[in-house]
Amino acid sequence: MKLEAISSRALLGSLLLVLFIAFFTALMVGPVDISLFKAISSEPDTSMESLILFEIRLPRALLALLVGATLGLAGAALQGLLRNPLAEPGIIGVSNFAALGAVVVFYYGLSQAAWFALPLGGLVGALLSVVIIFALVGKSRSIVTLILAGVAINAIGGALIALVLNFAPSPYAMQEILFWLLGSVANRSTNELLIALPFMAVGWLMILSSGRFLNALTLGEETAHSMGFEVNRYRWILVLGVAASVGAAVSVAGNIGFIGLVVPHLIRPFVGYEPRRLLISSALGGAILLLVADIAVQLFSSGGEIKLGVITSLVGGPFFLFLILKSRNMML
Amino acid sequence: MLISLSLPGDDNTKQRPQRIVSTGLCADQLLLMIADRSQIESLSSFVTDPNMSYMIDAVGDLPLNNSSVEEVIPYQPDLVVASSFAARDTTRFLRRLGYEVKLLNLPTTLEETYVLLREFGEWTGNEARAEAMIGQMKLEIVEIQSRYAHRPEKSVIVYSPNGYTIGSNTLENDILNKAGYRNLAAEMGIDGFQQISLESLIAAKPDLLYIDNNVINSDSLASAYIAHPALEHVVAQKHQISIPTPLRICAGPMLTEAIAYMAQKR
Repeated sequence: MKLEAISSRALLGSLLLVLFIAFFTALMVGPVDISLFKAISSEPDTSMESLILFEIRLPRALLALLVGATLGLAGAALQGLLRNPLAEPGIIGVSNFAALGAVVVFYYGLSQAAWFALPLGGLVGALLSVVIIFALVGKSRSIVTLILAGVAINAIGGALIALVLNFAPSPYAMQEILFWLLGSVANRSTNELLIALPFMAVGWLMILSSGRFLNALTLGEETAHSMGFEVNRYRWILVLGVAASVGAAVSVAGNIGFIGLVVPHLIRPFVGYEPRRLLISSALGGAILLLVADIAVQLFSSGGEIKLGVITSLVGGPFFLFLILKSRNMML
Repeated sequence: MLISLSLPGDDNTKQRPQRIVSTGLCADQLLLMIADRSQIESLSSFVTDPNMSYMIDAVGDLPLNNSSVEEVIPYQPDLVVASSFAARDTTRFLRRLGYEVKLLNLPTTLEETYVLLREFGEWTGNEARAEAMIGQMKLEIVEIQSRYAHRPEKSVIVYSPNGYTIGSNTLENDILNKAGYRNLAAEMGIDGFQQISLESLIAAKPDLLYIDNNVINSDSLASAYIAHPALEHVVAQKHQISIPTPLRICAGPMLTEAIAYMAQKR
């Protein structure tokens, strides 16, 4: 494979560079034209420019970065763990169940009980769905089983979100289904960022610590076991890591689909199909993709913004179809 | 003889409706204000909502409905009044069944409010009462404007849950103007009820931020918009005000109270 010639360092370096550019572009894009120099040079939170940069654009861009990284990383981890190229938090229903957990906590006032209630709700929801997926799919590597299980879990999750919002005490709850199903980082503040960050960070560490296990797992469970990995323990670490990070991401930004599917697939050829190397580069790739999607959202709509999930699904949906067609050809 | 029995100004060539049912809040309120109590058969349940209704004390023991066809028909109404923007299916259904349905338009100015009140008087056969109400409103507005004429004009932006603002061609915009405010959202080119980005709001630097705080305590993303820290910085230096919902949600004489309320805060 020619592409393997790209070294880890070169790949990570170029991803970081692109991420850097995307992040600064995101800080410059918005409905009001402001001078970044003026924003930085003035006293914090006194001038209009610094208020817009530090209270509106910076939290938004950081959140897009962190949520994108989480989704990319979780996608790579799930694909490795289930040894299935179509595994992705959105497709197998983890995101919808995370949203469900967050919705229950958020609309019934529990989020005010403690700062960690909201991401914890997301975690519990996400965990529930991963456990169901494991029970349904088991050790089967069949793509069809996984997709069908995902369809069912997604449908149940979406229906329960609608149900919970229907009975929520707030008059706005029903309109907000769109946010939870399509995701957005608009008008999010530093508060949401700080609430989600600890859970996301713990989740990332758990996933990243299992890289070598994922490498071993490509050779099969028995081999991984004989190489000294406690398969069940690592499996739980990965599941909890995905649940914590995706649960927290979804609880502040809603369900943003397809990032975790598209990114690992695009990057896989560059890392020599090695799951461990895929993890960190998928996180960077996910961050880039979500930042770019959020810039697109702001450029293409004025006032009433389109939701992030619309953009990611428009890109990811056809990609998903392409992957299904490809895998069907392989099966034939 | 007949003429002396009827109310002054009534149209005798047309039969005066005697069994009126309302299926919307604004129609409920106008019925309670303009029609005789004996003409009213049923009001919508919105009229008893303390967050929205201005006429809650006047409802008494009048039967309430939930704006559905099934609830309206048993009254065999000779007139149904409804809002033009709500319960469309109910309206269409009732018309197909042959009931007389009159729809209240959503006025976008005080002038249109007067037209609506006049129409409502004609529909229900209470023209004189409607005219008196219009005259009274006009008087009150002149009085309010002269009372606060010495205060300087101020700029304002309305910020509601979900980031919506009031632009031009809205009743609220006219109320703000009459109360001596420049609505910066309207000047920005926002028309009707639209979302405004937090950035544009901060960049516009209004003297006053008018926040719909009726929902601040409800748990929803919509309220999270209002709780954004960037807004707190603006609000800390400025004022946060809100017209009570019952005064502004429907067209009617309570609009002058809304104008007085806003003018007094200027």
